[in-house]
Formats: sequence, C-alpha cells, structure tokens
Amino acid sequence: MKILVCMKQVPQKDAPLKLNESATWIRDDVSYEVNEPDAYALEEALRQKEKHGGEVVVITAGPARSQTVLREGLAKGADRAIHLEDAAFVGMDALNVAKVFVAAIKDEKFDLIFTGLQSDDYGFAQTGVIMAELLGWPHATIIMEIQKSDAGIRVKRELESGFFQHVTMPLPAVLTIQSGINKLRYATLLGIKQAKNKPLRKVALEEVRSAAGANLQKIEKLYLPQKSKKTEMLEGAPGEVAKKLVDKLRNDIRVI
Amino acid sequence: MIYFRKPIEGIERPQMEADVTIVGGGPAGMACALRLSQLIDKHNRRYPDAPLSKENINVLEKAREIGQHCLSGALLDPRSMDELLPGWRREAPLDAEVEHEGVFYLTKKKAHRLPITPPPMRDHGNYVISINRFTKWLGEKVEQAGITIFTGFAGSELLFDGDRVTGVRTDDKGMDKANQPKSNFEPGYDLKSKITVLAEGTRGSLTKQLVGRLDLDKHRNPQVYGVGVKELWEVPSGRIRKGEVIYTLGWPLTTKEYGGSWIYGSKDSIVSMGFVTGLDYADPRLDPQRVLQQFKTHPYIAHLLEGGKMIRYGAKTMPYGGWWSMPPLAGDGWMIIGDGAGFLNSQRLKGIHLGIKSGMLAAEAAFEALLANNFSAAQLKSFKEKVDASWVKDELWEVRNFHQGFENGLLHGLFHATLQQLTGGRGLHAIYTTEAGHRRMKHLDQLPADGGNRAQLLGKAKGDGKLTFDKLTDLYHSGTKHEEDQPSHLVIHDTNICNTRCVVEFGNPCQHFCPANVYEMEEAGDVPHGKSIHLNPSNCVHCKTCDIMDPYEIITWVPPEGGGGPNYDGM
Repeated sequence: MKILVCMKQVPQKDAPLKLNESATWIRDDVSYEVNEPDAYALEEALRQKEKHGGEVVVITAGPARSQTVLREGLAKGADRAIHLEDAAFVGMDALNVAKVFVAAIKDEKFDLIFTGLQSDDYGFAQTGVIMAELLGWPHATIIMEIQKSDAGIRVKRELESGFFQHVTMPLPAVLTIQSGINKLRYATLLGIKQAKNKPLRKVALEEVRSAAGANLQKIEKLYLPQKSKKTEMLEGAPGEVAKKLVDKLRNDIRVI
Repeated sequence: MIYFRKPIEGIERPQMEADVTIVGGGPAGMACALRLSQLIDKHNRRYPDAPLSKENINVLEKAREIGQHCLSGALLDPRSMDELLPGWRREAPLDAEVEHEGVFYLTKKKAHRLPITPPPMRDHGNYVISINRFTKWLGEKVEQAGITIFTGFAGSELLFDGDRVTGVRTDDKGMDKANQPKSNFEPGYDLKSKITVLAEGTRGSLTKQLVGRLDLDKHRNPQVYGVGVKELWEVPSGRIRKGEVIYTLGWPLTTKEYGGSWIYGSKDSIVSMGFVTGLDYADPRLDPQRVLQQFKTHPYIAHLLEGGKMIRYGAKTMPYGGWWSMPPLAGDGWMIIGDGAGFLNSQRLKGIHLGIKSGMLAAEAAFEALLANNFSAAQLKSFKEKVDASWVKDELWEVRNFHQGFENGLLHGLFHATLQQLTGGRGLHAIYTTEAGHRRMKHLDQLPADGGNRAQLLGKAKGDGKLTFDKLTDLYHSGTKHEEDQPSHLVIHDTNICNTRCVVEFGNPCQHFCPANVYEMEEAGDVPHGKSIHLNPSNCVHCKTCDIMDPYEIITWVPPEGGGGPNYDGM
C-alpha cells in the first residue's frame, strides 16, 4: 500500500505563548513539535507498510522550521517527504491547505491518505475530510484500528461513551487517525542518519498557488481568557447539599 | 518499591562507528563541532585528494531540541565567538549590549551601591543573551556545516577497552517503571568512537563515571559548586534599562553562605534574574528556591518586579572550583570540555566564553589526532597544551584562588580577593585548598532549632502567587516533562540511609536543596522514624544539585530517557 501521511508542526504544548502584535496568532519564538495525532498517523502508516509492503510518504506545509517534522518522519521509517515550504501556509485555512496538498500530489497514486484527527493548535479537524471531498474519495474519521481486506479496508471508529463503529470501505480512502491507536516508536540513530539521504521534494508556494483561493476563514482576534473565579455555597442539610451537588455536577457542569 | 534506571543487560545492541562523538550540545559542544568542521573544510580545500569526512562526527544531545536544557544568566563575553565565527554579531540572537552596571550590598531593608564597580564585574562590551536561543542558533550553524546532531539521545555509559574510552552507549528507550522493556523498547546504541568529547555541562554523568574510574580527581582540589535558581520576568517598561546589569551581595544570605544575585535587563521589558547559592552551606534545611523567593521580597527588588509577571523558571548548578579543581583534560580516546571540566571564571561569574574556547581547542586537538590517526593520551594531551598556551589559562590563572578564599565567609573572602587582586591571583598561599561542599553540612543537633539568623533561608517558600512562588508553581514554569512510565533516573544507592540515618542526622536535605520537588519524605508505617523517601523523577530539571550536595554521596543522577527534561525557551 502506498500511504501519504499529512503532518503538521505545532507549538509545544507547554510552550509559553505570546500573542503577535496584531493579536491574530502567536509569536513564533517558541518550541515546536509534531502534532500529536499526526505522530500516531505516521506510526500507523509505518505499521501498515510493515505488514503489507508499499511506501510511506510524509507531507507538510509550513516555513523552513517545519522540515523538522519531515525529518522525524523519515528517521522513523518514511521513505520520502514533500515540503510545501512557505511561511504563508501557517495562516492558511483548512480548505486551502487541503487544496494545496491535493495539488502537490496530483501526479501520485496513493491508496491511503492519513491525517491526524485534528491539530493541537487550530483544532479544526477539517483538512483530511476536505481532501477526501476534493479527491472524490471516501473517508472515515477518529480511526482506532485499520485492517486490510480483499475489497479494501475495515476500520474501527471511536464514537462517544465507549462505543465503536466498524466500517468497511474501498480504497483509495482518507482516514483521520486518533491519538492512542498504537504505541509510538522511537527514532534510532541509524534511522536519523539514513534520513539525511532520503528524498525530500520541496514545493514552492507559486507551484500550488493557483489551486488555492482566498482564505474563507480567518482569525479576527486572539486573547487570553479572563480568569474569573466564582464560588457558590450550597446550603441545607448534608443530604440535600449532596443532592444539589450531584445535580450541579451532572446538569450544569456536566462532569458526571 | 522504587526501581532505578540502569542500562538493560544481556541484549544485542546496535553498533555504530564514529570518528568523533561529542556528548552534549551546549555552547562548548557546539563550538567544538563547528571548529572541527571548519578545520576539516579547510584541510579538504587544501588537499582535495586526501579529504577528511565529516560524516562520522556526531553530537549527542539529551534534550528534545537544541538549547532546551541550557540555562545561564546569561552574559556573553564575545572574545571566543570573535575567534570562532567572525561577523557573528550580525546574525546571532543578542538581546542587549551591556551599558550600565552596578553592584549592591543588601541588608534586610537597604541596598547600598558600591561606589565603584569592581573591575571583574565590569561588563561593558558583553552581551545579555538567552543561552537557550543562542545555543539553538549555534546548533543551526553546526547542522548547516553537515554535522549530525542527535537530539533526544543521552550518553548513558562510557564504553571502555581497559582504561581507553572507546565510545558511548546511548540511553535505552521504552523501559517501564520496573525496568522492563515496553513494546516499543529501543535499546541504546553502542556508538564506537575514536574520540569521545565529553561536553555534558556541569557535573556531567559520564564525566563523573570517567573521573571515578580513572581517579581523575587525585592531587587536585575537589570541584565545588553553586546552584543558580532563575526566573524570567516581564516587567512594566521603565523599571530596568535594556543592557543594565545589577549584581547583589548580602541579604538574604548571612555572611557565612556564598552567593548572590544577578539581574539583567534584556529586550522587550524582559528581566533575567536569579540567585546563586554556594553548595557549601552548613544548614541542611536551606532551600535555594526559597532563597530566591526571599530575595525578591527585598524592597529594592520587589519594586523592580511590581506589576510584572514571572514567565519562566529554571535551575542549574555551576562549577566554582576553578583552575585547581580541573580534572586532566584528555586521555586515551577522550577529552573533557566546558562546564564539565570546570571552564568557568567564578570571579567574573562567566563561563560561556571559556566553554566555547575549550571546545574550539579540543576541536583542534581532535583534528590533529584524526590527521595522525592516533587517539592516544600522548596525542590528545595537545588539548591541555593548547589550553595552557591560550588566554583561557591567563584568565583562569588570575582567579585560581578566588573562590577558595570565600570558604570561611564573605569577610574573609573579600580580604583574600583583595590580596589576590594585588598579587596576580596568588594571595596568601600558592594554592588555596578547598573541600567538597557537601562535607560542610552540619547535623541538625548542631544547629539552632529555629534556624537562628538563617531562618529566612530555611524550609519551603509559601509564595503569594504574584511576587513569590511556592516550588511547584515555579516548577510548572520550567516546562519540564518526562515520559512518566520509566525507572527513576535519580539513583539512590541505599534508601535505608534516607529513612534511618539521614532523617535523624540531617533531616533529609534533598527535600530542600532540590529546586524541582523531586524528593519528598512521606509518612510511612514500616520505617523506624515514620518517614520514607519518595521520588518524583518527572519533576527533575537536570540541575544536578542532588548528585553534588547529598551529604552521604548516595545519589547518582543518570540521564532519563532522551527527550525528557526542562524546556528553557527564552531562558
């Protein structure tokens, strides 16, 4: 199977974030890492390749620094990489990212495209789904298991409240992968060394610009949440207070 | 039951051959890699028929990203960078050039400015930098030069053939809490190297192995240390000038503890500040994180920070011992550079420029060894000769007795320092001796129960959440993170000592000196004094204080699974 894995570089979860001057995004002097669900998507692709043979290609869109995620993918076992390199990709909405990805792979024939379920920064969970639409392929989201069958694949989707759904679908297809589907491997010294000699194709913004349109979605303003603390005293006999508390937790705060 | 990390035995390990392995991607290691690359490039231009390869020169760095474990004030003396990369100032991330400086002696309520700034503390021409960003930038240069930096890989053991170092074993990945391999277990590599350059920084764990095995600490002073606890603040504009440097002595320390603070005005209303406490104090209840919190309540400092916000926290030890504490710098197959060897000027409170220069000189020695295809002690001793012939020796020689003069407190220290200043560094004795700092710790029954005049330094800081913080709040701002399911990388060789002896004699100082709350004493029924040691290794910020200051010398810091540790973004 030939699998494309879409990966994104996101700010590290514990990085101290600062807003940029126009308060539309964060300043970029922070540490970055591979978007977590994408790491699982890569791992799953590598496992599928180990079982069924084929090729794993990693792709990302972002400035020069984002090449790190491709290097990491190559070090872990991906065969080659595609880098849509431009800072302009950072502010692009999911529709346009999906369009430029599809444009960048127009000469390739993949059986599967994996994305992470969503990105840790924007959290749109759209890029994969839109790519499927643009390609005219079926898709399934929140994937917890993938099995190859004669006709295509059988996947397990995670639903709410511990329910799962099994879906049989034909290939080619797009899957968005849930974190925790597998256990991530570590990159090895040899893998890192070999990654240096693996092919990495760079795609300039100009080459795919015609595929993209204007951003349909844009961030007007980012601001830090105002911290507010509210204390409410529940009055009455212990039994009553307990009932009120359960009621609050269940119906207002919805944690039980 | 606490399981301690050790390399798994009886397995087949992958091997890799290397010419030079540099363990540690700080300023010294990066400078070494870069200089070596420059020398090889130059050689290959001159002798295109007999080129040397850079393919097998590697840097190991335990942090997930370059620079993440680097912590310093930081002030950079540009001398060695001018030699390494002419024109570097145009592109390096420099926050401010030092333009104003002052030294203050603090009493509880007052700050007395010294009428003149002592010459060693004059910093005009130096730069305020973030060592994190600076090292990241140096790392980019190294990678552009074609040298591989393995981030997320620690050196867990040295490989030996007799007394010859033959390489490094990297950390085992994917071990669970009970030291058993998980499904994604990845054994550490045996990285066989012709030359292993130890650039691990302060109290390096492989350096410690080497020093122990080859008795490298014989016939010299023991290394002595201080621990710097740092906070980065964003303050309202106008509080401190960009490029302003302030040092304080005195309160909250008494005249018996060594230490002091730094406050640097950086760009964007960022203040780098911290407090260094000498790790040779007497009272086991002293808490260096508390010392910093106490310091900030001084009216002069509180005013500076008022309305500001603490944005980052960290801690790291630094070697103070100087020239007489330095181990041999090279032997069969190995060299030691940077803080790990003690390349630090304790009088000027600066070591980055010396670390860089030591790396460059080691690179020259390594280059010559590669050409001669000889990696013996006889060949690599040229590193030491180069150090002796360079300005590094001049600088360190002048202050060879400086820190030792302070062993009996501030007043003695100032007397000796003045005398040394007048006698070219000699002072009263040709060699001032010293003893390891942890030996100066006193038993609880020799100390006043209420702490006496040191009460303000002892016990946990409570913190008001604005100006001062408890340890866990501070720790949160270090960004430290480790794989939780792994054995403890703080290796206590005999936990019985903690629960039976230390609890009575010293009151478990690990709970106090650790700036990251790794060590806790928990109520327990099955031990004689009702308290039992508990570890939170995931909190560790890799400062090495425990390895240095534990009075029984039973704690060994070993690297956790590579990639874990603090994230000193912007520090």
